Amino acid sequence: MGKKFNVALALLLVASLALTACGGVDQSQGGSSGKQVLNLTETQEPPGLDSSKTTDTVSFSVLNNVMEGLYRLDKNNEPVEGMAESVDISKDKKTYTFKLRDAKWSDGEPVKAQDFEYSWKRALDPKTKSEYAYMLYPIKGAEAYNSKKGKADDVGVKALDDKTLEVKLEQPIPYFLGLTAFATFNPLRQDIVEEHGEKYATEPDKMVYNGPFVLSEWNHNKDFQYKKNDNYWDKKTVKLDEINVSIVKDMNQKMNLYSTGKVDFTSLGEDYVDKYQGKPDVYQHNEATNFYLQFNTNNEFLDNAKIRKAISMAIDRKTLTDKISKNGSVPAGALVPPAVQGPEGKSFRDLAGKEYIKHDPKEAKKLLEEGMKEAGIKKIPKLELLGYDSSGAKKDQEFIKEQLNKNLGIDVDLRPMSFDQKLKLESAGDFQISYAGWGADYNDPMTFLDLWVTGGSFNRGDWSNKEYDKLIKKSKTNPDFDERIKDLVKAEELLMEEAAIAPLYYRSQLFLRQTYVKDLYTHPFGADFSYKWAHIEGK
Amino acid sequence: MGRYILQRMAYMLITLWVIITFTFFLMHLMPGSPLQNVEKIPEELQEAILKEYGLDKPLPVQYVQFLGNLAQGSLGYSYKYDGRSVTDLLMQGFPASAQLGIQSIIFGSLVGVLLGSIAALRRGTWVDNTANVISVLGYSVPSFVIATLLSYYVGVKWGILPTGLWGSFQHTILPTLSLSFLVIATIARYIRTEMLEVLGQDYMKTAKAKGLSRTASIGRHALRNALIPAVTVMGPLVIGLITGSLVVEQIFAVPGMGWMFVESIQVKDYTVIMGVTIFYSALLIISIFLIDILYGVIDPRIRISGAKE
Amino acid sequence: METTKNLTPDLFEPAETDVKEQEQIARKKLTFWGDVWRRFRSNKGALIGGILLLIIAVMAFIGPDMNPYTYRAQDYSVINKEAFGDHWFGTDALGRDLWTRTWYGAGISLLIALLAAAFDLFIGVPYGCISGYYGGRVDNWMQRIIEVLYGIPNLVVIILLLLWLDPGIFAIALAMGITGWITMARVVRGEMLKLKSQEYVLAARTLGASTSRMLVKHMLPNVMGPVIITIMFSIPTAIFFEAFLAFIGLGIRPPEASLGVLIEEGYKQLQLYPYQLFYPAAVLSLIMFAFNLVGDGLRDALDPKLRQ
Repeated sequence: MGKKFNVALALLLVASLALTACGGVDQSQGGSSGKQVLNLTETQEPPGLDSSKTTDTVSFSVLNNVMEGLYRLDKNNEPVEGMAESVDISKDKKTYTFKLRDAKWSDGEPVKAQDFEYSWKRALDPKTKSEYAYMLYPIKGAEAYNSKKGKADDVGVKALDDKTLEVKLEQPIPYFLGLTAFATFNPLRQDIVEEHGEKYATEPDKMVYNGPFVLSEWNHNKDFQYKKNDNYWDKKTVKLDEINVSIVKDMNQKMNLYSTGKVDFTSLGEDYVDKYQGKPDVYQHNEATNFYLQFNTNNEFLDNAKIRKAISMAIDRKTLTDKISKNGSVPAGALVPPAVQGPEGKSFRDLAGKEYIKHDPKEAKKLLEEGMKEAGIKKIPKLELLGYDSSGAKKDQEFIKEQLNKNLGIDVDLRPMSFDQKLKLESAGDFQISYAGWGADYNDPMTFLDLWVTGGSFNRGDWSNKEYDKLIKKSKTNPDFDERIKDLVKAEELLMEEAAIAPLYYRSQLFLRQTYVKDLYTHPFGADFSYKWAHIEGK
Repeated sequence: MGRYILQRMAYMLITLWVIITFTFFLMHLMPGSPLQNVEKIPEELQEAILKEYGLDKPLPVQYVQFLGNLAQGSLGYSYKYDGRSVTDLLMQGFPASAQLGIQSIIFGSLVGVLLGSIAALRRGTWVDNTANVISVLGYSVPSFVIATLLSYYVGVKWGILPTGLWGSFQHTILPTLSLSFLVIATIARYIRTEMLEVLGQDYMKTAKAKGLSRTASIGRHALRNALIPAVTVMGPLVIGLITGSLVVEQIFAVPGMGWMFVESIQVKDYTVIMGVTIFYSALLIISIFLIDILYGVIDPRIRISGAKE
Repeated sequence: METTKNLTPDLFEPAETDVKEQEQIARKKLTFWGDVWRRFRSNKGALIGGILLLIIAVMAFIGPDMNPYTYRAQDYSVINKEAFGDHWFGTDALGRDLWTRTWYGAGISLLIALLAAAFDLFIGVPYGCISGYYGGRVDNWMQRIIEVLYGIPNLVVIILLLLWLDPGIFAIALAMGITGWITMARVVRGEMLKLKSQEYVLAARTLGASTSRMLVKHMLPNVMGPVIITIMFSIPTAIFFEAFLAFIGLGIRPPEASLGVLIEEGYKQLQLYPYQLFYPAAVLSLIMFAFNLVGDGLRDALDPKLRQ
C-alpha cells in the first residue's frame, strides 16, 4: 500500500515547505529612498477623534499631531504658540485676548476664531456628552452651561472677529495657556462636523486637519497612517513624511516587532527591562502621575497620624521601583511629581526643596508603638488593602503586603478590584487603605492638592485639616502667583506631615526608541507624543 | 425534511433569544460603567451622559428597546468607538477571523486525516505511537504557548516569517499554524478510531476478496466511511477555534473579532459585547445545524425526519 | 530405571471425576470491570498516563512542602534566578520559589478541574438519567432545553459569569460546570435509551423493582463507563480553560497560583527567563497528556467494538 501514502505525505511536506518558503520575502519597507518614515505601535486604535468627546490616550496623541490648538507643548512641556500668534492677558489675569495667525485647514480654508468658539461651546453643550468638558470649567460660565444651569451665550469665549478670540476666566489661574494645548480646546469646523453628524471623525476623510500631519489611512483595529500636512503653517519644521502605526496589544509581539526592525518606537514592558537595561535605545518618559496609599481616617487605627506615618515609612520604595515595577518610576517622598512645574520653568519639587517621607523600618516601628499608645489601641488589627487587578499593580500590592508584614507585623488582606469596582468602594468609603494613582490634568500642583480639601469629592479618606483647606481656598483665587505657589508648598508639607497618604512612586514609562529616531517628544500632560519635530537621522 | 428544518429553525431562534436575554441581564449586573473617565468626571455629568445613552432607564425598558432595535437589524452604536455602529465593527473584524478559522480548518483537517489514517493502518507500530503522541500533544499544549513560541522562534530567531501583524499571506501562516494544532489533534484522533472500526467491517473483507488493491480499498471504502462521522466534530472545533482565536489574535496582533471581544469586555462596551455574543452564538448554532443536515445527507443510514439518538 | 520396577497398583488411586466439571469449557472468569482493567493494563500508553497522573497528584500534595519556601513568600535578593540551591525550578519576578508555586498551582488547577467535573456529575448524570429513563414527554422537554443550551457558546457564558462573580477557585469551577454538564447529560441519556430496551431491565421491572432501585442498582453501573470517559476528557478541558481564562486576565486572585496564572506570568518573561514558562507549561501539558492517555485507554478498554 505504502506508495500512495508516501506520495501524499511528500506532497504535504512540499506544500508546508512552500507555505513557509513564501514567507521569506519581506514586504518592502519605505525609508531607503531618503523618505522620512517612522514606524510605531499603539495598544489600541483611536476610539474617537472627535476632539470634544474623546477620552483616551491614543486619541489624544493622534489629535495632538493632526490638530493644533491655540498653543502646543514643546520639548520642555512649555506652551508655545500654535494657532495663536500672540496673547494679551488683562491685569486681573482673567481676560485673555488671542490673536490668531494665518493658518489653514487641510482643505485650504482659513482657521478662524469662530472655529474655537464653536468647538468649546460644543464640548460644553450637555447634548455632546463630552466626558472631558470639565477641562473647560476655568472659563466663565462654562460649568453652569455644561450642567444645564446656564446658557451658551453666557460662556466666556467670544470671537471678536475672524482672527481675535476673547476668553474670560472665572478665576485667575497660572496654567491656562498650557491648558489650551489640550485636545478639548482644539478648534473644530462647524460645517464639517455638521455635515458628518454622528460619523464625524470616524474615518480619515470625515474630518479636516490643522496640525503638522493629516491622517491618510485608517484600517480599523489594524493600523493607521499619518502623512505630512502641506497646508500646515509651520510645515518647514516638520521633517517626517510618513508615520505608520500598527495596533499591537501583546507585549511579546511588540518586542518581537522591535527586535526585527519593524517598528522604531514602542513601549518597553517591565518584563523586558532586564534585556534592554543600560542600552541606548531605552527612553524614559516621566509622567506627572503619583501612586500612593490612601488611608481611610474613619478607621480607628488609621485615624492616628503617627500610625499612618509608620505605615508610610515601613515601605521600601526603592526596592519597589528598582526591582518590582522596574519601569523607571522614581520613589516618591511627597505628593506632587517632579514633572509638575512651578513658576519660571522650575519644578515644583525644586521649590518645595525636599521629599518628606523616607524608608526607615526602625523609626516606623517606634512611631507605630507611640501611635498605638496615643490612640489607646492594644492590638494591631488586620487591615485590608484595596487595589487594582492589573498584573503590574498586583505585584506592587503584594510587595506592600509583605513589607508591612515584615517591618511592622501588620497583616494585610489584598482586595484587588477592577477599576470601576474599586472606584465605587472608594467613593462609598468602603475601604481601609487604598492603592491609588492620580495623573495631572494640567501643569500645576493644584491638580493634586485640590483633592484633599475637606468635603472634596475625591477626598476618599475624609482627612481634614483647617489650615490646609484655608491655603487651598486662598490659592484658587489668588492672582499673586508667587505667593500662591508658596502657599501650595506649605499645603503639601501639611499633607505629608499628617500622612494623609503614603506616597509610593512617581510613575514613569519606558520606551524603546531606535537611536536613529531624534526629537520625538513625550509629555507628562494631555497628549503623550509630539511628532512635529521628530526626524530620522543616520538609519 | 421540510418540517424538520422549520422546527430546527424555531429552536435556533429560541436559543438565540435565551442567549440574548441571558447576556443582556448578566452584562448589566456587572459592576462598572461604560464611561471611560469615570474617576474624574463630575457625578452630575456622568448621570447626564448615561441618560443620553438611555442607560438611566429601568432594565426591562432597555431590554425591550434592545430587542426592538435588534428586530430591525440594528445592534446599536459602540460606547467606546465613538460614532461607529456595532455592525461596522463586526464586519471589520470578521474577515481576518474567518480567514484564520477557515485556513486552520482546512490545513488541520488535511494533516489530521493523514495522521489518523496512517496511525490506524499501522496500528501498534511506532508510526501509530508517534502519530498518537503528536495528536495528544496538540491537545495538551495550550494554543497561546504554541503561538508565543512560533512568533519568537520562527519570527525573531530564525527570521523566516513575520512575527505578527496582518497584511499579506505570510502574516497568516503562524497564526494559522497555532490554531490548527487543535484541529489536527481532534481530527487525527477521530479518524484513527473510525478507521479502526471500518477496517474491521465485512465490506472491507469483501473488497479484499474481490481483489481490490489495498490502496483502492482504503481510499474508496475505508477512508470515505471513516470521514463521515468526523463531520460531527466540526461543531466543537468551531467553538475551539473561536476560543483559540481570542488569544492567538492578540498574540499576533491580528485585527479580528476575538480580540475585539476581549477588549469590549474589558472596557464594558455593552453594545459590542452583545453584538459579538450574538454573532458567535448565531455562528455556532448555524454550524451545528448545517453539520446535522450535512450529516444526514452524506450518511444514508440516518433519517433526519426521525432524528433521535 | 530402577524405581519403575517397584511400582505396585496400590500406589494408584482413581482420579475423582465430576461430569459437570468436564462439561465446562470456560476460560478464567472475568467480570466486566476485570476485563476492562486487564485491557487497560495491557495498553502501555494508558498505564503510563495513569502512573503520570498519580505522580503529579502526589507531587501536588507534597511538592510545595519539599523545600523550605511557601508559594507566596517573596525574596527580593533572588529575583528571576534560574534553578539553584533548593530553588529547584528557580524563582519568579518577585523572588518566589517556582517549584513550590508550580506544584501548588498544579494542585489548584486539579482542584478546579475536579470541582468542574463534580458539577458535570451532579447535574449532567441525573439530568441524562431522568431524561433517558422516563422518555416520552419528559424526555422531549428536557431535550428541547438541552438543544437550546447546546447552542450557547460556553466561552462567552464563562467569561461573562466571571466578570460578575469574583474569579476564585469555586467561581471558575462553577462557571465551567454551568456550561459543561450538557455533554455529560447527552452521553448519559444516550446510554440510558440503549439500556432501557435491554432484557435484564425488563426482567428487573417484571420482578417488581422500584424506579429508584432500577436506576441506581441496574442502570447506573452500566453507564459508568461512558461517564468515566467523559470525565476523563472534561477534566483536562477544564484545566485548559482555566489556563485560558488566566491568560485573558480572568484567573484566580494573587498571590494564589494556578497553572494558568503561572503560565500567564511566565509567558511575559519568555524571552528573558524562558524557564518560568517552561516548568508550569510542562506540568500542564503533562497533566493534559496523562488524562488524554488514560481517557483513550479507558475508552478502548470499555468499547466492546475494539475488543481484540
